Amino acid sequence: MSLLREAQEFIANQAARRSLNAFVSLAERPALFQTIKDAEAKRGRELTNNASGPINGKLIAVKDNICTSDLPTTAASGILKSFTSPYDATVIRQLRDAGGIVAGKTNLDEFGMGSHSIHSFFGPVWQSRNNSRVLTAGGSSGGSAVAVATKQSWAALGTDTGGSVRLPAAYTGIVGYKPSYGLVSRWGVIAYANSLDTIGIFARDSRSAQTLFNAINSHDPKDPTSLLPSTRTQIAELLSRTNRKTALRIGVPLEYNINELQPVVRQAWVRTVHLLTQLGHTIYTVSLPTTKHALSAYYVLAPAEASSNLAKYDGVRFGSRYAGPDASSETDSVLFSKTRRQGFGSEVKRRILLGAYTLSAEAIDNYFIQAQKVRRLVQRDFNRVFSLPNPLLDSKPSSAHQSTVPDAAKGAKVDVLICPTAPTLPPTLEFLDKQTPVDAYMNDVFTVPASLAGLPAVSVPVRSSPSWADKALDGEMVGIQVIAQYGDDDLVLKVAKIVEELGQ
Amino acid sequence: MFSYSSRTASGAFFRRIFVCQACIRQSRRQQQLSAIDSGLLFHRRLLQTSTSTENIVPFRKQLKDEAKRKRLEGGSRPSKKGAKGRDPRLEKWELTVGIEIHAELNTARKLFSSAATSSSEVPNTHVALFDVAFPGTQPHFQKETLIPALRAAIALNCEIQPKSSFDRKHYFYQDQPAGYQITQYYEPFAKDGHITLYDHDGIDPEDGESITIGIKQIQMEQDTAKTVQQPPSTYLLDFNRVSHPLIEIITLPHIHHASTAAACVRKIQSILKSVNAVTAGMEIGGLRADVNVSVRERQRLPETRQGKSYYGVTGLGQRTEIKNLSSFKAVEDSIIAERDRQINVLEAGGVIKGETRGWTLGSVETRKLRGKEGEIDYRYMPDPDLGPVIIGEDIIQHLRGALPMLPDDIANKLVQSPEYGLTMKDAKTLVALDDGDRLEYYLEIVEILRKELSGNAQFLEKIGKVVNNWVLHELGGLFAAAERDWSHAAVPPEKLASVILHLIHRRITGRAAKLLLSTIFYGDPRSVKQIIEDENMTLRPMSREEYLSFARELLDENPDMVNAIKEKRQHGKVMWFVGQMVRRGDEGRVEAEKVEQILREL
Repeated sequence: MSLLREAQEFIANQAARRSLNAFVSLAERPALFQTIKDAEAKRGRELTNNASGPINGKLIAVKDNICTSDLPTTAASGILKSFTSPYDATVIRQLRDAGGIVAGKTNLDEFGMGSHSIHSFFGPVWQSRNNSRVLTAGGSSGGSAVAVATKQSWAALGTDTGGSVRLPAAYTGIVGYKPSYGLVSRWGVIAYANSLDTIGIFARDSRSAQTLFNAINSHDPKDPTSLLPSTRTQIAELLSRTNRKTALRIGVPLEYNINELQPVVRQAWVRTVHLLTQLGHTIYTVSLPTTKHALSAYYVLAPAEASSNLAKYDGVRFGSRYAGPDASSETDSVLFSKTRRQGFGSEVKRRILLGAYTLSAEAIDNYFIQAQKVRRLVQRDFNRVFSLPNPLLDSKPSSAHQSTVPDAAKGAKVDVLICPTAPTLPPTLEFLDKQTPVDAYMNDVFTVPASLAGLPAVSVPVRSSPSWADKALDGEMVGIQVIAQYGDDDLVLKVAKIVEELGQ
Repeated sequence: MFSYSSRTASGAFFRRIFVCQACIRQSRRQQQLSAIDSGLLFHRRLLQTSTSTENIVPFRKQLKDEAKRKRLEGGSRPSKKGAKGRDPRLEKWELTVGIEIHAELNTARKLFSSAATSSSEVPNTHVALFDVAFPGTQPHFQKETLIPALRAAIALNCEIQPKSSFDRKHYFYQDQPAGYQITQYYEPFAKDGHITLYDHDGIDPEDGESITIGIKQIQMEQDTAKTVQQPPSTYLLDFNRVSHPLIEIITLPHIHHASTAAACVRKIQSILKSVNAVTAGMEIGGLRADVNVSVRERQRLPETRQGKSYYGVTGLGQRTEIKNLSSFKAVEDSIIAERDRQINVLEAGGVIKGETRGWTLGSVETRKLRGKEGEIDYRYMPDPDLGPVIIGEDIIQHLRGALPMLPDDIANKLVQSPEYGLTMKDAKTLVALDDGDRLEYYLEIVEILRKELSGNAQFLEKIGKVVNNWVLHELGGLFAAAERDWSHAAVPPEKLASVILHLIHRRITGRAAKLLLSTIFYGDPRSVKQIIEDENMTLRPMSREEYLSFARELLDENPDMVNAIKEKRQHGKVMWFVGQMVRRGDEGRVEAEKVEQILREL
């Protein structure tokens, strides 16, 4: 199909599915068409040279917490409702350098805080199944997920702090990939929780995800947490030294089989594992004992960082401001309180308060410090089960740790872990209305551990019904998550492809 | 601005400081150039003597006022206490003080962006996106900013930490764009240093000959923006200063006298300047101090179990903190005021509350800013974007080796070395004046004269003192009388050297030499030799007979005076005659020493 025809289809869908509220702003049509035509011409030229860029002329939706200088960047917040960034994020530059086209900016939970893309200044994102039920798209990158799932763009960028790419991917039945922390530049990504924030990719298949990833996977000196070229080389060398067989050792973490797991999700998980054994891969049950504390640790750490990161929104240098005088000596009100009260939504305020509390002198030891310790334990859990050593740690593991664990208790070493992305299928928006905030946090229980450890993870859609041949019977897709050791991104995507093919 | 080693200058023993000073001078020259050709951004900041529009008293003026006040009170120290006598209550109560000093580092770039540091540029022209906390931006630690910070830490005898890290200190204020300041709370880069103050540094007599004050830590941190008030209700913000690198030096509560506290701040400042760690333009709010003040009953001292403790110092009274002191006088006066306030409260049976207090220059009382309940919880959090700072032993060794001489060492050298042979008072004065410019000027002249007079041992011995007299007193007097700031160029060193040389060779009289200096000072562009010739200043020695007859004439005119000397043995009056003769004699002919000799004969 020509690039232009493909793009026209996406653009037509953008208009037809406007009610899903996937986009906050769309690229201007005339300019967009011109860019596509240029890309088409370039492809024509390059085809003869045999050097066509893989994402040349592709429409890519971008989550609206990634800065663009031509379209507003709102983070779906009232405080940035009319903000346009003076610069492009590094990933935007990389996309454009590779010929990609920004289709528009997608809706999200304000500043990325949420699991259902309903906490947006621009209204909730939603999706429908069987033309009747109004379901959550997942969050916080719900707009990006819906844009890809409903063919409003070829692929999309999101951000994944605790599952914000993987969860909506699972809910909308597409591929959602969170690379290892530090591979993709965060320069220009509006920070929610810096130590966890990761740019992620939505695509309708794992191959497209890989293609887009290749365009943005490089060191960026502007991001102090971007992995250095030397470290990238070290990881590549470690991987090339690792002698991997075609038959993989696949881990099934016991702690993910929780009571709250919906039967349909459990079935899809079991069936996927079963099919993998039929392909000759071996399955091992592994234990990640800290998993049960991971969610609590995440909801201490992420709000703590958020409360700090969001302190800059005071309406002084950019963003919206309360219309009247802000400070008042009579009421002794704090300088920016009215601006912040008006500009932030309820979920953001909740997390700022939570974070401010857990960092306060009286609480930091019991919350923030404890949570950091849990984070280390989660990391250690993963390091213990993966056959590949964590390339960020010294090659010699601490002898103290080694000696205290008897060989028998060490358990099996595996190449990847397979588990559900979310405990349930997407609930209805109506159902969510009755939930407490903490109920909503529960959705992240399977995605948060990989975030805390910075590991690569991908959610792959598999069909929930056993009678795959009869697609009409039940169209529900379940997200299955593949997690691997830090830096083992190629393997994650490779296994994602296998699972994807099994699940069709 | 890191091009220290590029310049070498004369001055064998003082090579190091010469290198450094010459470099400062060089960059100042470049700065004058850059005013025309605006390309040399980084050098500009070294000269920040231009007046700021802010409503603060320029630092230099404060120093002057302070000096003036001391002069008026007569005698330098101990000033007030000496006059009024010590407060008898101090027999019972002991003061304890710890100080936090914030100083602007002398760096080309900001702490976390490549924007240039500046303080006198057009507002908001040196600001990177990160400096104003734009969404999506991240900090880029500028490694070079460590160099002056490390120099300061080495000069203050600190242990440099191989690993340190940055934390966020949260509070809302319009001059704080991110809503937090990046500082080093959990792991500062330097710890456990100390500074020794001597009696000539101006410490309290009760502290004896010297006192050593512990330095708990030194940390790097960001400066804030500048708020320019436009009454009644407009606040303009200049973000040029945001994220300018600062160091905060925290001393232990080892200080027990207000004058010693002021001496400590003064000495730390002079050390920071001498190792080129801080900006030259300290008068623009470059140095700010917070002091922690408490008092305790001396009798209870042994019971160290009681009371508060701080970093191993125990048995302390409840402290209060006085914030934002920007002069030595403010440090000293506010401590005295707060000490007395606390004693008053305690003697009246009250309790000291932990609180933050403020001080206005010229006031007599500290005032409460906020109490414990109003204390800000800074919610310190490690900055998740910034990795640890790893400092290698090699760079520490290198900086240690290349450190310029410290003021104490220079002063000692000036006193002990026979080439200079100064008194400690004069040496200290030379070192302290004009950011070291005066010392440099002095050394240059000594160097010129030493070359001119090489092989002439009797003169060489005297040079150090003679030059000091001319630089400090004669030339210094001219600057004071003209109410002008020190400048190297008013009387170029070669010219003053030439004047002194003529004097030493007795080609002119002392009186003529002073006249010459003044002529040059007020802008006469002719060469020294030319002026001497044009103005007929050459010494035409009078014969012994001429002197004798001249002297007799004078003695005959004043028989009373002669009587006073002869009968009443008032030998001091001989000098009166000397003065008379010098004054009455022809310009440039009478030499005072000879007159005295002749007179005594008679």
